[in-house]
Order: sequence, then structure tokens, then C-alpha cells
Amino acid sequence: MNRNALLPGVTGIALLLLVAVPVSFVILQAVFPHLDTGVYSAPFRAFTRVFAEPQLRELFSTTIKVGLGVALCSGLIGIPLGALRGLFALPGAALWDVLFLVPFLLPPYIAALSWMLALQTHGYVQQLVPWLHLNDFLFSVTGMVIVMTLNVFPVVYFAVSRSMAASGSRLADVARIHGAGPWRAFSRVTLPMALPAMASSLLLAFTLSIEEYGVPGALGSRSGVMLLTTGIEARLADWPIDLPGAAVLSLMLVAIALCAYSVQRAVVAGKNVESMTGKPADITQKRLKGWTIPVLALFTLVTLIAVALPILSMMATAFSGTLSGGLSLSNLTLRHFGALFAAHGDALSALSTSLSLALGTALIAGATGLLASWLVVVRKIRGSALIDGLSLLPAALPGIVVGVGLILAWNRSFWPVTPYNTWAILLLAYCCLLLPYPVRYVSAALKQIGGNLDAAARVHGATAAQTLRLILLPLVFPSLLASMMMVFAVASRELVTSLLLSPAGVQTVSVYVWRQFEQGSVGDGMAMASVAVLLSLTLMLAAVRLQRKPLA
Amino acid sequence: MTAMTLSLAMAAGSAQALTLYTAGPGSLAKKLAAGYEKQTGVKVDVFQATTGKVMARLDAEQANPRADVLISASWDTATDLEKRGWLLEYQSPNAEPVPAQFKTPYYVAQGISALGIVWNTKSGTTEPKDWGDLAKPEFKDKVTTPDPSLSGASLDLLIGLQNAHAQQAWKLFEDLKANGMIIAGPNAQALTPVLQGAKAAVFGAVDYVSYASVQDGESVKVIFPSSGTAIAPRPMMILKSSQQQKEAKAFIDYALSPEGQKLVADAWLMPARTDIDAKRPLFKSLKLLPEASQASASRKDVLERFAKLFGQQ
Repeated sequence: MNRNALLPGVTGIALLLLVAVPVSFVILQAVFPHLDTGVYSAPFRAFTRVFAEPQLRELFSTTIKVGLGVALCSGLIGIPLGALRGLFALPGAALWDVLFLVPFLLPPYIAALSWMLALQTHGYVQQLVPWLHLNDFLFSVTGMVIVMTLNVFPVVYFAVSRSMAASGSRLADVARIHGAGPWRAFSRVTLPMALPAMASSLLLAFTLSIEEYGVPGALGSRSGVMLLTTGIEARLADWPIDLPGAAVLSLMLVAIALCAYSVQRAVVAGKNVESMTGKPADITQKRLKGWTIPVLALFTLVTLIAVALPILSMMATAFSGTLSGGLSLSNLTLRHFGALFAAHGDALSALSTSLSLALGTALIAGATGLLASWLVVVRKIRGSALIDGLSLLPAALPGIVVGVGLILAWNRSFWPVTPYNTWAILLLAYCCLLLPYPVRYVSAALKQIGGNLDAAARVHGATAAQTLRLILLPLVFPSLLASMMMVFAVASRELVTSLLLSPAGVQTVSVYVWRQFEQGSVGDGMAMASVAVLLSLTLMLAAVRLQRKPLA
Repeated sequence: MTAMTLSLAMAAGSAQALTLYTAGPGSLAKKLAAGYEKQTGVKVDVFQATTGKVMARLDAEQANPRADVLISASWDTATDLEKRGWLLEYQSPNAEPVPAQFKTPYYVAQGISALGIVWNTKSGTTEPKDWGDLAKPEFKDKVTTPDPSLSGASLDLLIGLQNAHAQQAWKLFEDLKANGMIIAGPNAQALTPVLQGAKAAVFGAVDYVSYASVQDGESVKVIFPSSGTAIAPRPMMILKSSQQQKEAKAFIDYALSPEGQKLVADAWLMPARTDIDAKRPLFKSLKLLPEASQASASRKDVLERFAKLFGQQ
């Protein structure tokens, strides 16, 4: 392989291995139901079988309903708060940003279990406020939507606030100078400018919620609500297994996600809302004046519900001797944290496994993401559309589908060596799922760099690889690092594919917590979860600090 | 870089360890593994999950089997695997003191659990004495039950009740459903709401999980119903596909040794050997459901009927 083909070659192989292989096997298994025994008979039989099942319609419609519900509710919370944060000088703005990051870092299934312990009959909330009955509300489709919303709405909040802060007020001021009233300036200038950010973040909320397994997995069995993800998990992980059925449902889920993505692209594509010229602009935020108190009260309320309640419920369980003992000082204990250090070093090995896997994922996804975006944005090589597509496709792939694909692909006797049943399969899964983060961040950074830097270096005789290493890498490094930190945080708590793929003898933090819950040691599980959440919050803040930019 | 990582992983994965798939208490599996490793120097990799998940994994890997030893929570699964011809015939010398009903040439009980009602003593309800009490108005919307498709022991209870009472058993399930009983995931997920007091009782809880909770100070009580209950012996078996049959046999021997059985008893299970003490009622003292009069109901039929009744399908 000559020098010029080396980097594209490596990138291409990495993308094939990480993305194309698992996806192709899901498609193959869906089409050929007997693929697992090596027979290519009865093509599409699984489709007809699954489509004929009476519960499919409900599975499908509930999934869409939940997705739309979460998008709608995330909008109702995220857009007003984001607008207030973006347009006005909010006291303690950075603090609110950090607080709203927490639900995003809290693994969804732990959030769901915390909500359950807080809101069910005799839960923590009722122990404090006996007349408040929220049990039936929690165990319903609406309850599921609200719990998911409280996990997901920060995506909308951050997108809207950043977009409004960057473009909104300056142009709205121009409108005001030309005689528009404050409401008119907002509705005719600020709002339309932020529309693409709203649309894309709402659609992101939609896809995040239809891909989610933790919340329906935790709340669903009690409320009798099944979604596509729980349906896939049940077919795959409960005896007797149904691989072709799981593959067909997986493809349906991917199809919904891809539809959402194409709607998003269509909404965003037609609009040019570029307001940044590259010249430094002074962003002035308006003062809230008399509205300060009500606005702060609103932010406090949302923080109390979305952040404080689940975290307190988690901590209360971690520090409680017994669940039946309820909230009381005599029930206070450190026993569960002690248990983490006993138990044959199990908890500690789970922590170190998760951290090393997360580090490995950050390095591999970072390197692959950097190369892929460089080849697409800067080098514009042949086949860059394919590279771009493959590197962003996992954003539309639910974790469970990647898990299915990796089992189908690697658990075969024809491979001379296979990563299946070693920790490497988890690394493959995480890298696939999280690849879009570095690709998005680095591409955006590369697009801001003028082409003449690259050209100048090439004129002076630098090879492509040298230009990348010496010129472009230092320039995009802050973005790359931030995205790698994000990858690290998410990988260190990933649950769904870990549950499916963890080999015997290997436990990650999330699997450890899940198994503790499964065995009735809720307190031990919550103690581990508290440690993990604290750790990922610390890392996230470190990432933000290293990037020396406001939270984005 | 990826290739390098993969080859490293390969090297790590091929170490000569014994692979144990087990349903039931993970801490027990860990202790057995540690004791066995100390004795033989062979490391044991444990995969622990619910019976449904353990069996699913076994199924998914049939093209390329990984497990050497399997411990299930349902006797039925072992019978099924034996029929498929997947099991290695082995009788451990340590199985001598295990009663005949808990061993076959292919598998032997590691320990035995029983199913009962677990009742929250602070729930403000009167203590239930029999299964039928949970269908009374007092327990309206206050009962959970483990999902029999996930929990092997729970399925054994359904089969036991149907074998003993035939149609009467299904009448009971219908009454429970009408009284608002909900299916709540595997064993512990059915127990957790009862611990916190959201629900008052579990119908058909595995006793050892509950005894462990009682030991931790939870205010719950394990009640064995007056009309009889089912016991769930937990079969241990060696897969025929195992590359390490010698080590696997040694593991079974260890689990059935007095030391191994002591660990089983410490996990609040009844030891399979009759010569080991336990800190809980043993099966001799329990009233068991009568044996099936005709051929035992098939697990698949019972599961499907139950799932249909509770609207899961």
C-alpha cells in the first residue's frame, strides 16, 4: 500500500469493521431467517411472520407515540428555558448549564429506577408528602414519556440557548432599531433564526427516546408497556430466542430513526441562518429586570424535578440500610458502599473494566473520527460520501441493533479468530455507537479552518499526513478532545449492548448495577451508580475546562 | 490499532479458564468459583443472569458453544437439554448423600429453593396463609409475581400448581389477575416494590432472595402456603461440548463437597446433600404440592397460557 493510500485505507477498514459488518449481518439475518445455521432458505419468511403478529401494531405505535411525546415535552421544557438562557443575562447562567448536564449523564435506567423508588406508593415522595399519589401516573405511557423527557430535554435546552445566544439578539436589536416591537422582533427574527436548532434537537430527542431501553426496561414491566427496544431485547435475551424476529424489529427501529433523520435534514437544509461572519461580535444579553425572580423560580423548579429528585432518590437508596425502613436517620448506613469494596473485588474490577473500555473507545473513536472527517472535509477523496455516511450512520442505530449485529457477525465458527466472548466485542460496540460524536465535532471544527493553511503547507512540500499532524490537528484538538471526553463519559455507563455482549467473567459498571437490581440488592446497585455518576460528572467538567469554552 | 487491540484480546480470551453459566445468586457463584480456584488453580469465568437469559445465551451460542458448566434455576431446562443430547453423563462421588429425586445420570441439584408468599409485615394487611388469600379484596392491586418466562423457579411453581390442581390452578390465576396482580420482571423486580411497601406481597417468590432480605433487616416474611408449594432444585450439568471436561467434573465435585455445600447453605438455599446443615427450613419440613397424576404439563404451553392470561401476548 503506498503512502497516500495508507490513511484512507486504515479509515475504510475501521469503518467497515465498526459499522458495515454489524449492520450487514442484521440485514442478512432479517432476510434469511436460518442464517445462524448457515442455510440461506426461506428468505423474508421472518418479515411475514413478524408482520402477522397481532401485538406488532401496538409495539410500533407505542414506540412512535412515546418518541413524539418525548420530543413534544422536551420542546415544552427546553425551548422556553433555552430562549431565556440564550437571550437574557441569567444570574448564575453557568451553574444552570452544569445542573442541566446532570440528567444527560445519569444513565437512563438508573434514573428510571430512582423515579420508581421516589414516586411509587410508599416511595420517598409519599413518605414525605403522604397525600401525593403519583404511583399510577408513573406506571403509564405518560409516566414513561415524562421520565424520558427529563433525561432528554437538556439536548433541546443546550441547542436552543446556544443558537439564540449566537445569533438572536444582535439581529433582533437591528429589527428593534428599525421600529419593530419586542414581540415582533422575537417572532419574526429571533425565532426563525433558532428554528433549525430547535428542529434538529427535537428530532434528536425523538430518536434518543425510541432507541432507549433503560426506561422502558425498568418501568415497562410494571406498567405493561412494551416498546420496540424492549421487544427486541426480549426476543434476543429470553429463552427461547428469536434471532430473525429480533433482526426484523431492529430494522423497523432503524427505519423509524432514518425517517426522523431525513425529516431533520429536510427542515434544516433549505434555510441559511448563517449569522457568524468570523468577525468578533459582542454578544450582549438583555437584562431580566423585574422578571428575574419568576425566571429564577422557573429554573429552580425544573432543576428540582429533573435533577434533584432522581439524584436524591438514588442517594437515599444508596445510604439506606433497608428499603422497608424508609427515610429515617436510624436507617442511615454506609454498608452499601462498603459492599462495593468487599465482594471479591467485583465492583472494583467492574469500575476498572468500564474505565479502560471507555478510554479505549475514546482513543479509537477519536482517531477514526478525526481521519474520517479529515478525508471528507479537507481531502475530499473519492468515496468520501461513503465514508461520511458510514461514520454518521451509527447516530441512527440503536445500541441494541449494534449488539444484535455484532453477535450475528462474530459468533460464527468460520472466523479463525473472533472478538466475540472477549472484552474486545464491547470495544467494537462502543466505538461503533459513539463514532458520530468525534465526527460531528471535528468536521465542524475543520470546516471553520480556511483552505489556504492546508494549501500553504502542501506548497512547502509537506505530505498530506504531515499537514494533518502538524497544522490541522493542533487547530482542531480542543474540539477533538471535548468529543473524546464525551465518548468517554457515555461509554463508561453504556448498558444495552453491554448486557447483550459482556462475556463470562467481564462486568462493566452498568452490568454490575443491573445485576444488583436483578438480585434484589438495590442499595448496593445505587451505591455503585452514585460513584459512577460522580465520576462521569467530574470527567465531563474536566472536558469542559480543558476546552476552555462555555458549555455547549 | 484496531487489529492490534483485537489480537491482544484474543490472547487474553484463550487462557485456560472454566466457563460457568449460572442463574441465581451471583455472590454464591463467585464464592464457589473462588473456592474452586483456590483448590485447583483453575480460574472460573462466571456469567450470571436470570434463567431465561442464561438459556438464551446458551441457545445463541450453539454454533460455537462457550459454557462448560451450567447451573439453572429450573429442573425443566436440564431435562430439555438432556433430550437435545447436549449434556455429558457424570455422577460425582460427592453426590452420594444427595436424595435420588435430586439427581439423574446427567445432572444433579446444587441446592434447592422453595417458592412461597413474601409478605410485607408493615403493609397493614393480614398475614396470608394460602395462595388463594392473595385473590381476596384485601390484596386488591397489592400483589406482584415474577415473570415465569424470566425466572425458572417461578415457572416450576406454575407447573407444580397446574399438575396438582389442573383447572383449579387456572381459576386461581384468573382470580389473581382480576384482583390486579401484576407481573414484574424477574424475581427481585417483583420483590423490590414489596420491600418499599408499594405492594403488599409477592405470589411465588423464590425464598432464598427473601431470606437474604430478611437478614438485611427488611420487614418481610416468607410464608409457605398451607395447601402446599413447589420446590425448585437447581440442576448443575456439564455441556458435552466442553473442552475441559476434567476441570468441569472437578467443579461439580467441589460444589457438592461439604465446603461447597456450606457455601450453598450460606446463600440461604437448601443444600442438596442431606448431611449439611442450613439456617432455614429444609424441604423435609415443607408441605409440597402433590406429584402430577398424568404427564407433567409442558413448560411452553404453561408459559403461553399464562402470558396470554396476563396480556403479554
